[in-house]
Amino acid sequence: MNSIINRSVAPSSEELNNFKIIEGNIISISNNIDLHIINAGTSDIIKLDIICDGGVRNQKKNPIAAATSALLREGTNTKTALQIADELDFYGAYLQTHCTADDSIINLFCLKKHFDSCLSYVLDIICNSYFPDNEINIYKNNSIQRLLVNKQRNSFLVRRLFYSSIFGPISPYGIYSESDDYTNFSRENLLEFFDENYKNKVKYIVLSGEIDNSIINCCETFFCDLKNNSKSIKPITKSGKINDLQFFDRNGAVQSAIRIGRRIVNRTHIDYRKLQILNLILGGYFGSRLMKNIREEKGLTYGIYSVLESFIDDGCFFIETEINNDLREKGLKEIYLELKKLREILISEEELILAKNYLLGSFLRSIDGPFSLADRHKILVDYGLDYNYYYEYINIIKNIKAKEIRELANTYLQEKDLSEIIVGSK
Amino acid sequence: MISVNKFTLKNGLRVLHHEDTSSQLCVLNTLYCVGSKDEKPDHTGFAHLFEHLMFGGSKNIKDFDSELQKAGGESNAFTSNDITNYYLTLPANNIETGFWLESDRMLRLDFNQDSLDIQKNVVIEEFKERYLNQPYGDIWLKLLPLVYKVHPYRWPTIGKNISHIENSTLEDVISFFNKFYCPNNAILAISGNLSLEKAKYLVEKWYNDIPPQNIIRNTYLDEPKQTVPHKETVHAEVPLDVVVKAYHCCRRMDADYYKTDLLCDILGTGRSSRLYNSLIKGKSLFSELDCYLTGDIETGLFIIEGKVTKGVDIYAAESAIIEEINKLMSNGIAPQELQKVKNKTETNIKFNDLGVLNKAMKMAYCELLGNIDLVNTEVDLYNSVDANDIVSIAKEIFSENNCSTLYYLSI
Repeated sequence: MNSIINRSVAPSSEELNNFKIIEGNIISISNNIDLHIINAGTSDIIKLDIICDGGVRNQKKNPIAAATSALLREGTNTKTALQIADELDFYGAYLQTHCTADDSIINLFCLKKHFDSCLSYVLDIICNSYFPDNEINIYKNNSIQRLLVNKQRNSFLVRRLFYSSIFGPISPYGIYSESDDYTNFSRENLLEFFDENYKNKVKYIVLSGEIDNSIINCCETFFCDLKNNSKSIKPITKSGKINDLQFFDRNGAVQSAIRIGRRIVNRTHIDYRKLQILNLILGGYFGSRLMKNIREEKGLTYGIYSVLESFIDDGCFFIETEINNDLREKGLKEIYLELKKLREILISEEELILAKNYLLGSFLRSIDGPFSLADRHKILVDYGLDYNYYYEYINIIKNIKAKEIRELANTYLQEKDLSEIIVGSK
Repeated sequence: MISVNKFTLKNGLRVLHHEDTSSQLCVLNTLYCVGSKDEKPDHTGFAHLFEHLMFGGSKNIKDFDSELQKAGGESNAFTSNDITNYYLTLPANNIETGFWLESDRMLRLDFNQDSLDIQKNVVIEEFKERYLNQPYGDIWLKLLPLVYKVHPYRWPTIGKNISHIENSTLEDVISFFNKFYCPNNAILAISGNLSLEKAKYLVEKWYNDIPPQNIIRNTYLDEPKQTVPHKETVHAEVPLDVVVKAYHCCRRMDADYYKTDLLCDILGTGRSSRLYNSLIKGKSLFSELDCYLTGDIETGLFIIEGKVTKGVDIYAAESAIIEEINKLMSNGIAPQELQKVKNKTETNIKFNDLGVLNKAMKMAYCELLGNIDLVNTEVDLYNSVDANDIVSIAKEIFSENNCSTLYYLSI
């Protein structure tokens, strides 16, 4: 290579087309449970997700959903917690359980060669979890102690206060646990919740990885006696505040944790995908306006982001950051200024193209590999959407105009609709 | 199995390539052999501050991030004791933009005072957010000087204190760049939907004209063998007592590393491990307990760190850890237990091999370790360990004379 290259000109790059989304297939196993299959990749690792109705919204009181989920694997009628952990570890498998506001998930990662051995444990915990008293006590004590530590984190406190404020303290999206909640539940509470939401029944199953017939047959064999959980999830109560202002004083805190935001439309609304673009421009990536202004130009913070979050029956938008106490007012002023600019000034063509290209690249990353594809697929199932949702998203990104961005900002980002929650020192 | 192609340019740049046609992406991972151990003791935290400056524009490119984002890409970086590692992901069709950006900042950074001043503030806020404004956030600031007395691992990558970051000048930046940011001090790993032929063409096009430098490292002493227990007690406004025990152990590239890592798994990784079952579940002495290796290039640490249950005496809890260790040393390890941690390791390794970014990072790191074949052979190295090896290693490591203990007490 003897020719001198011109480094001051960027190599030509293409607008992204031809997104290859490997779509999931759905087959019904013998008892009408849908088995969703994402067959992609070339690894020996299989991921299995079993989705149940054990989310926070179905619990009668806190923290039953979380406790049931955490204790599912801590003993069944025939095996102790240690036996389950030890034997699954012997197969090199990872079994995780967690619950969200809307549902609960039992997740298994293992090598293909151990898949059938591991499935018997998954089946056992869905059908026969026992919730031994000693395990419940350990869970209670350790959860209370973890809470004590978390309560010293400004970011933890501000998150709880924010969700509780905008969604209301009894919404599954706003509720949080205190020490007493952990102390005051019983084994009976867990068993009742387990019977209603897990025992012998599941909502649907997702398999991802390099999936062949032997893996599918294996699922058929193990899960054929489970019932499809057709029980509908409970409706939620909406009682949140608008334009709430809270300052929680933590003496001695070096920085203030800030959350500014509101309830907003969720994924099922026609504006949601456009809001994803607006959110990106404001604070959704490293090149966002908030990051550029408040971190990269003024050095006020290590990081500032805005987030759009969708739940099944609600949604929210917020800006989050941690700023030195004495620079807090300056930071807040700049945040509101950026919101105002979005409402009043048209975004330049250059900035819009950059945001669009970044978002398309980001979507491409989000469909790379079987497990990312499984996450995209689950979203479609949960919101009753199909793959057109993503193809349309690509077109929306490509075609959105500066005027639409400004209109969206005027509709959704008015100061009077935003709440401001701060945890820090005065 | 990750199939790797390797070649070296005349200027010393080592290049690794892996083609993955199942992905629509391509990753460039650039590892510079410079970390916080290359800093001077009175000027710590600089390698990490410098990492921030690498995003502030280069000789021919004003704004690194915008150019990358315009092509649909994303990037980040991290600094450790030993290395500074930069990575970017792009749609495979646009990967040349990545070569253009990475090579230009290797050629010459745009040294400017504004960027330095702002990133100093950003890093100081990072220091506060992660190390000062978190419960237990300063554990490493306290622990490292207790463990290391002469070696530069005695300060954390963020730096000993904020004033070191504040005192950095533009001259420091220029001299650090000239010393360490050059092709013969870097490893470039390419992974994704890009053929070897194309990769070679692009590497030669963008990197051939970057001159090598004469790399002069600071000299420093090896840490002398510890001969007495190191202990320190600190008090802070935290809800629970924490005990941290740090034992000197081998280097990441030593054959003993695999034995030590399995020892760590047996003792304290996961829900079936010994410490978890005995001390969290059985005796409820701890609410959380972690075991891990620092895995450094030079002699590293075997760390056991636990939050002591409220009401339990921290010294009694510590004794219970030592009791479990003694049990392992005197009773040995059953074949089933060893096979279990080997099986788990196999899944871990395969799991870490997923995705083009992980593969690129792994290739670069194995090359740094001096043996690119490790990309595919580590499973076998773990499998060849036997139970007696692990017990012998335990006997070498677990003595109070080889241990630094930090008692972090609730006021």
